[in-house]
Amino acid sequence: MKNRVAIWVLGLAGIALAVAPARAQNGLPMPSPVEKELAARASNVTEVTLGKNMLGFAAKFLDGKDKDEEATRHLIEGLDGIYVREYEFDKEGQYSAVDIEKLRTYFQSGGEWSSIVHEHDKRSGETTDVMMKMVNGQPHGLFVLDAEARELSIVLILGPVKMEDLSKLSGIGGLGVLGDIDADSHGNANRNKDKVKPPKAKTGGDE
Amino acid sequence: MAHNWQPDFEKLVDEHQSMVFSLAWRMTGDRGLAEEVAQDVFLELDRHMTRIESPEHALNWLRRVAMSRSADALRRRRVRGVDLWVEIEEKHGSPAEERQSPLETRLEQLLSTLPEAQRAALILRYQEDMTPEEIASAVETPLATVKSNLHRGLKLLRAKATTNLKEYIRGL
Amino acid sequence: MDFEWPDQPEKFDEFEQELKQAMERRPAPPSLKRRIMQKRSARRTERHHTTMIWWQRLAASLLIAGVIAGGFGYRQIEERRKGEEAKQQVLTALRITNQVLNNMNRKLAEHDKPENGK
Repeated sequence: MKNRVAIWVLGLAGIALAVAPARAQNGLPMPSPVEKELAARASNVTEVTLGKNMLGFAAKFLDGKDKDEEATRHLIEGLDGIYVREYEFDKEGQYSAVDIEKLRTYFQSGGEWSSIVHEHDKRSGETTDVMMKMVNGQPHGLFVLDAEARELSIVLILGPVKMEDLSKLSGIGGLGVLGDIDADSHGNANRNKDKVKPPKAKTGGDE
Repeated sequence: MAHNWQPDFEKLVDEHQSMVFSLAWRMTGDRGLAEEVAQDVFLELDRHMTRIESPEHALNWLRRVAMSRSADALRRRRVRGVDLWVEIEEKHGSPAEERQSPLETRLEQLLSTLPEAQRAALILRYQEDMTPEEIASAVETPLATVKSNLHRGLKLLRAKATTNLKEYIRGL
Repeated sequence: MDFEWPDQPEKFDEFEQELKQAMERRPAPPSLKRRIMQKRSARRTERHHTTMIWWQRLAASLLIAGVIAGGFGYRQIEERRKGEEAKQQVLTALRITNQVLNNMNRKLAEHDKPENGK
């Protein structure tokens, strides 16, 4: 009897492991198989993976006297990780809708993610997804997937994301748009729409 | 002599800006957008200068990128529920070039009403004197598809022109 | 479908000749070249500025290295180098994040434009 229970538990664990992304020691996901394929096809790849410890370490080198660096430091302090991928392609058609769906599924699994924005242009194939992970009513993760004709970007921020700090980052180009997302995550009109319209420098900082 | 040839950015702009601008204008139907596209194309050329090996390479590269960026610009401009061709036709209703005959002006306007792929093929054929093989390479499309687009586009344009010419003559 | 496509313009029929004339290249606006050269110049200045910052950082690193003789250890230098690298990675990540969100914002704004005539 005990062996049967053990087998069931192991079986369930196996299923859970199979659907959830493997995690590195820093809590960030391991690169999905799709990303490796994208990197192979891309003409330019930027990959940044920063765990909690590395973020804390980097924060020490942000100049507190510089307004923007101070804002950056405040933003990243307390975060559990930042995972960014940017793939640029020489021509269109280097990834498919199936690839996009695999990426969404991969990053969405293993937590309570709410879709804030889902836009898909069936003609051009461009897709934008924004998801937030809410823990006790507070944003505890932000995922953005932006797929354009020749560029595909993934942004994953884990931990207590301070939206108001993100909007103050004018030194890195201003992220004021996130104020709107914050409003949406708290119950305003959802932008989930699936519209039918009539068409490599690696800088990995893994710990 | 290709070994001795060094690309000079400003000279390339002087030599090819009209070509790039014309391609972009005829593809997008929007003068302002065509200027933006042309600008982007040359700035991209600046980033790729080290890879340009000869004057012919520069010309082909510019044609290919101009067509590609024009298509991108058209895609971005698409407005839901509005027939883009109608929009282009309205924009093309601007005063004709003095050197053009009314029929030539009308032909150019009719060109803008064709589907994008056919329009692209005809522009490269008749503006740039490219062969179907060269067009296929520039727009990264199979040769058979290019020939089909040329054939269908020309046929459609003839039909439209014939109808319009009759109306034009009737209006004289 | 395989047609004879004449390679020489003189083999075009009358309609094609008209079409070819209609499609003569249009002169580019006089301001186009000026704008291209200006943007190119501005971009190069920005790149030069970035390069200068890197040189300054290198100079700072060398200065730090020079201070070794005064007693600073290799560990501190290595830590500073790693810290700067980590900082740059943070900035790169946030730059991409900003770009992605701006793209999204633009698309949402386009989507929210009222349709013509409605």
